[in-house]
Amino acid sequence: MSTDAVARARGRVGKPAALLEVRSLSKRFGEVQANWDVDLTVLPGTVHGLIGENGAGKSTLLKMIYGVYTPDEGRMFVDGAPVAPGSPADARALGIGMVFQDLRLVPALTVAENIALALPEGPRLRLTQLAARITEASEAYGLAVDPSAQVRHLSIGERQRAEILKVLMTGARLVILDEPTSVLAPQEVEALFGVVAQLRDRGLGVVLVTHKLGEVRAIADQVTVLRGGQVILNAEDPGNFSDAELVEAMVGRRVPPLAVERAAVPPRDHPVLTLAGATALGDRGHVALKGVDLAVYPGELVGVAGVAGSGQKELCEVALGLRPVTSGSVDAGDGAAVAVPEDPVADSVVPGLTVLEHMVLDGRAVPRRGLGVDWPAVGARTAVLDERVGLHMAPTRRTLSSLSGGNIQRVLLTRELGQDAALVVAAYPSRGLDVANTRRTQELLLEHRARGAGVLMVSEDLDELIAVADRIAVMHDGHVVGVVDTAGADRMSIGRLMLGGVA
Amino acid sequence: MSQEVTKEAPASAAAAPPAEPPRRVRVRGAALLRWVGALIAGLVVFGAFVLANGADPFAVYADIWTSTLTQPGQFQQIVLRAAPIALAGLAVVVPARAGLVNVGGEGQLIIGGVAAAGVALWLTPVASPWLIMLLMILAAMAAGAAWAGIAAAMRLVVKVNEAVTTLLLNYVALYSMLFLILGPWKDPAALGQSTSVELNDAMKLPVFAGTAIHVGVALAVVAAGAVWFALTRTTWGFRLSVVGGNAEAARRAGLPVVTLLLTALLLGGALAGLAGFIQFAGMEYKLRPTFGLTIGYVAFLASWLSRHKPLPLLLASLVLAAIAVSGNSLQIGSGLPAASVNILMGLVLLAVLGWTGPRKVRS
Repeated sequence: MSTDAVARARGRVGKPAALLEVRSLSKRFGEVQANWDVDLTVLPGTVHGLIGENGAGKSTLLKMIYGVYTPDEGRMFVDGAPVAPGSPADARALGIGMVFQDLRLVPALTVAENIALALPEGPRLRLTQLAARITEASEAYGLAVDPSAQVRHLSIGERQRAEILKVLMTGARLVILDEPTSVLAPQEVEALFGVVAQLRDRGLGVVLVTHKLGEVRAIADQVTVLRGGQVILNAEDPGNFSDAELVEAMVGRRVPPLAVERAAVPPRDHPVLTLAGATALGDRGHVALKGVDLAVYPGELVGVAGVAGSGQKELCEVALGLRPVTSGSVDAGDGAAVAVPEDPVADSVVPGLTVLEHMVLDGRAVPRRGLGVDWPAVGARTAVLDERVGLHMAPTRRTLSSLSGGNIQRVLLTRELGQDAALVVAAYPSRGLDVANTRRTQELLLEHRARGAGVLMVSEDLDELIAVADRIAVMHDGHVVGVVDTAGADRMSIGRLMLGGVA
Repeated sequence: MSQEVTKEAPASAAAAPPAEPPRRVRVRGAALLRWVGALIAGLVVFGAFVLANGADPFAVYADIWTSTLTQPGQFQQIVLRAAPIALAGLAVVVPARAGLVNVGGEGQLIIGGVAAAGVALWLTPVASPWLIMLLMILAAMAAGAAWAGIAAAMRLVVKVNEAVTTLLLNYVALYSMLFLILGPWKDPAALGQSTSVELNDAMKLPVFAGTAIHVGVALAVVAAGAVWFALTRTTWGFRLSVVGGNAEAARRAGLPVVTLLLTALLLGGALAGLAGFIQFAGMEYKLRPTFGLTIGYVAFLASWLSRHKPLPLLLASLVLAAIAVSGNSLQIGSGLPAASVNILMGLVLLAVLGWTGPRKVRS
């Protein structure tokens, strides 16, 4: 790793101090050099896009800035003064605020109570006073939030606004948004970007972490690209680069676009999956799936779009026969089904068992030898699968629960998508994967489709669904509120359906 | 046990970044210090208790050491005590592999003893001793399994936690036995004492030549080996650990979860019943109000100490049996009640469990 390869920011001598300046930050975890000589400069009144694949070192960089990790090497400056935040509280005191991907709000409390938790107030709780200040601040920043609303009654978008408001009210001048759009409908993304623009206009600095180029184009003034823990592009104007160039900077090589040529869905005979008025309860006993009608035909890929928690999990489990319907009917034929679980760690990972031991948990007959499992035969079978699927999963002797989310996902994808089945149910198949593996996973699903399987695929990424699906079923509050043909689909009208409106 | 610790923290051992060692070393050093400190605290607290009762703690510790570990007769006593603890401990180990908590070893052991006693009572006049012994074993295991089966059925049908039901069934077992020995099975020849009729000599478990150790001890060792094999080398054992590790993953993999849970708890009950048999036919020879007292609970602790592993369980059973036996010398040597070693046992257990428990490692 020669330092010449690292892109350096242009000198800032003689200019006003940056809001945040990070110089040569390095961080190593054992064998992994998570960050190497990373620079990042955020100016007041700008939106700085930070992009890179999973594992590129974005989280490590953010956690060092936010005081969670201590850098091995390097320096940080806030307003030109050297700082070394030792904890998130230190970082907050310096005016650095972080909006995490999994929002840190207490669902049972109101917005005002949540904000009170974050503020360094005295022993007396003055909620009415605080509520007035919240209303004032929410008007000032254009963040419409009702301070007396309970968080659990808010939509994801509203929760995010509450979280941003919380961060702003604790005095943040630099707001870091960690993949804020992954759970939002397109309309909500637009609203969020409106807020971000307003923060920029008021002179705050915003760091927007994402892996979607469209978002960088939409809102970022500058973009920094991380790859393998190193800065590849440093604070460049995104307008100077094409999409292909930015992807190449992120991935390190060209990624051919997904083939668009595809056989038409064969004439409709018998569907492989039919749901008629399917109603089912969720884990908390509420009605999570409300009278869903849906059919998936052989040789067809049906996408499922919707804001997180609209019933996608229950839809998949009902389709797989894992969750009973309380009324209506499900017919998944008698062919085998393979499934990519929506929550891999909770649904499919057994703590302490190896990758190899997980490979027999696929519902197929287990090779036996005497009273035990014929592990060498499983190993051979697994090698064939790995070769055929091409996702290069972790060595089979590794403990699965010790792997990262993306590596766990690759193991489960290899196990499930390596088999032929009449029905493939894939919930968020590309979760945690890098660009190349996401592409390979999409190809695999299309290969199953071409083979004649019916594929049901849930995704949070509307662009992904539009790229691979034949039809998109849009879910809202347990209903399938519309099924849209992908050809000629309009993102905004799908977004309106996701939010419960009329297309 | 030290290997457990390194297993808990592979990342910190193998992957400690050069700039970080101070914190990691502090963490591991602290763990060691806590353990040593807790053990010393256990001994000191018990020493204070001894002192408060007018005895010299150092003399007591020296006495425990020499009297329990340097005399062959005492060692045999320890082994005899350890055997039913180990069997009843296996009754915790097997369900634990499937994620179940069996606190019912005590009751399953008593019911096993009752079944063995019943067989002996009814068949002594009519059948040969060897046949009766075989039937006693089968009846004890079946009774223990059935007793655990009540808890299993309640868990699988009405979803009552098995830890609660197995614990409550211990009292049902104890009072059922008391009913029998106070009433129908009371030995009329035992003047005023409530016991059953003593087992005929021909049906008592044979001892190894020149020792007091009966064949039930060998049975316990063989059972531990068999359980080890079943858990680690068979498809059933593998599936059991999948169910215990993540029942949802087992369900999605199409494993027969209900059958696996049921077999684990039933096998556990059968092993505890077997412990009841060797306690009856090898040690006590008759049912009395204190039959098998606390063996099931000590076995529960032994299983936890051994992290639910069958072979270390044998060692844990020996250690706990040794502490229990040392109570006798304590009583003779320093006039303290024999039961006061239970305080030492409790303190040591707390110390060791507190040390070996898995810790949350900050990511």
